[in-house]
Amino acid sequence: MIFKKTMAKIPLFIIPALLLTGCAPTAYVALLNNADGSVGEVMVKGAQGETLISKANTGALLDGSSTAAFAVDKAQLQEDFGAALAAQPPLPVSFLLYFQEGGTTLTPEATALLPEISAAIAARKEVDISIIGHSDTTGDAKLNEKLAQERAVFVSGFFDPVKLAIKEVTITSHGEKNLLIATPDNVSEPRNRRVEVAIR
Amino acid sequence: MRRYKLSGLCLLWLLSASPAHSDDSPIGYVKTSTPNAVLITGSKTEPAVVGSAIHVGCIIKTDTNGTLGLTLKDNTVLSFGPDTEFEITQFLYRPTDEQLKLDMNLLKGTLHYISGVIAKLKPTAVQLNTPAGIIGARGTHFVVKVED
Repeated sequence: MIFKKTMAKIPLFIIPALLLTGCAPTAYVALLNNADGSVGEVMVKGAQGETLISKANTGALLDGSSTAAFAVDKAQLQEDFGAALAAQPPLPVSFLLYFQEGGTTLTPEATALLPEISAAIAARKEVDISIIGHSDTTGDAKLNEKLAQERAVFVSGFFDPVKLAIKEVTITSHGEKNLLIATPDNVSEPRNRRVEVAIR
Repeated sequence: MRRYKLSGLCLLWLLSASPAHSDDSPIGYVKTSTPNAVLITGSKTEPAVVGSAIHVGCIIKTDTNGTLGLTLKDNTVLSFGPDTEFEITQFLYRPTDEQLKLDMNLLKGTLHYISGVIAKLKPTAVQLNTPAGIIGARGTHFVVKVED
């Protein structure tokens, strides 16, 4: 195995041992699994070095004094982050509404979904929602932005902020810049022509 | 009087045009809280309660027993353990103009981060500064600890 110079100073196996004996590092980041089971990446740039971590339950020192990723076990996570993890708000939930082509007429399936969305909003305390219009990549980006905005405004009419005790309704358009299904420009894709109701 | 009004308007315009406060609307809301958490805006300190609005530049602070959780408008989820000081220094969420940025400072304490739409659309747009080092999150879920 080839060690970089900085790694050679602190052998990899010593760091988890330090964690277990209670001499936990004072400043570190640990990567966790995403809710869908995937894992992202974290890049740390400290004064003394850089570390990239891309495996769940591994950590990196923030100052870069060691650039070796180290294992962080469940007990350590609980000790250091139990309170922060327990304070996590419910994850935002999103519903997608689809339209007949060209205008602001919802599909029958989308219309049938409206009561479920209202119920999900009503179930949360101090709830705020975003209603975001999205388009596919057919045609002009500016026109797509405008149509998507019109659809978002139309959808907002179904959710009464007073009746549902909504703290704030944010109505925006992402036009063709936030595709559900990645496509090149000028591709008609019905699944990209949608309004998203994000409930937080 | 008219002159006063005009200069007042100019002042408002100047304030609203400053980069740190480019938009007065909240960027998110507190969703979980304990009595030992506060929001500090300039010289004003107020208790952070469920439903409190979060703005760019306001400092979130918890004491020995405090915790707090919040969501941002791009669906980023953040929660904090005790003895924490944290600030969001930049939040840009305008995909149509390709204006996407989330800059945060963790001065001390613990943070639990779950990425939102900004990170999804532009993985390099999320940065967390700490006294020890800088974290670039690429669309992900992590915890971070900074001690005094």
